[in-house]
Amino acid sequence: MTPDGLKIAEIWVYLSGSPLFALILTLTAYQVGHLCYQKTDKYPLANPVAIAVLLVAICLYVVDMPYQTYFEGAQFVHFLLGTATVSLAVPIYRGISSLRSRLIPLLVALLCGGVVSIVSAVGVATLLGADAAIIGAFYPKSVTAPIAMGIAERLGVSPTLTAVFAIVTGILGAMLGSTILNLLGMKQWWQRGFAMGTAAHGIGTSRAFAVHPEAGTYASLAMGLHGILGALLIPLLKNYL
Amino acid sequence: MISGLVQILLWQGLGELVSHFLLPIIPGPVLGLIFLLIFLLVRGQVNASLSLVSDAFSQHLGVLFIPAAVGVVLFLPQLRAHAWSVMAALLVSVVSTIAVTALVLRFTAKRDAHDS
Repeated sequence: MTPDGLKIAEIWVYLSGSPLFALILTLTAYQVGHLCYQKTDKYPLANPVAIAVLLVAICLYVVDMPYQTYFEGAQFVHFLLGTATVSLAVPIYRGISSLRSRLIPLLVALLCGGVVSIVSAVGVATLLGADAAIIGAFYPKSVTAPIAMGIAERLGVSPTLTAVFAIVTGILGAMLGSTILNLLGMKQWWQRGFAMGTAAHGIGTSRAFAVHPEAGTYASLAMGLHGILGALLIPLLKNYL
Repeated sequence: MISGLVQILLWQGLGELVSHFLLPIIPGPVLGLIFLLIFLLVRGQVNASLSLVSDAFSQHLGVLFIPAAVGVVLFLPQLRAHAWSVMAALLVSVVSTIAVTALVLRFTAKRDAHDS
């Protein structure tokens, strides 16, 4: 090896051993994803997280870094998930205090939607012969990703698969939501928004805000309540199914 | 900003403690969320520092689950083998969830309008 090559290799060993590389990679990839999302006018397929995951995966493959090594560095970002979950209390509180009068029908609709999301996903996957690890990860997938991953851990299924399914669910919901709601002849913004938030959590909420502010407010309330109810009820449901 | 972060971390800590010793089935951060929500409902307002931190988190929530989601590389063979069933399950699930939630809301809202 030439002296120059040696130097670069030394720097690389130093960088890849510290959390800095994983942190730079994670945040830069997200920055690129976010830029794409803004440039395409928030088109659901240009989801910033999906783009970032793809970019990070390609980078790890190119530099031949095992996922475990990357995660050791990136765990500082991962740790904040719990903190972010707690902070979701604030938007839920704002939603509840402004929409208190409609809370009962909203909760009923949320429960029906939540049960349907689990039963349909688990049912179809079982029918088509998916394996147990995949089916288990379907249970919390309509819940907002940070909470879904916490539920997955407690259920003993893979938080990673759950997070990926949650993101795909969100993207599908954001892309198809308006069409489905139009076909059903739904005219009220609050009903449309709440359905989006229940089925497609954060990504659906972001879409709902782009369509109409009232839809967005209800979508974010649906996402928050679904998170709380999901964490309380999904472990019970899974034991009985 | 700092005071908001301290409040959130304290609620998270309390949630983790309760989850560890009393309610192992519910994740600590979710318990922290529920405690903070009850606290806010009782107090009836959100202080400025708390809402600053919370808005920052919810604006870029996505960045926080990248490290875990990249783990999908470990599941690629498994996912490839079941690609069709996974896509079908997710598609059917999201369509039926949106439809059922919307229809239930329309039904209950109509009944409300009749009652009043």
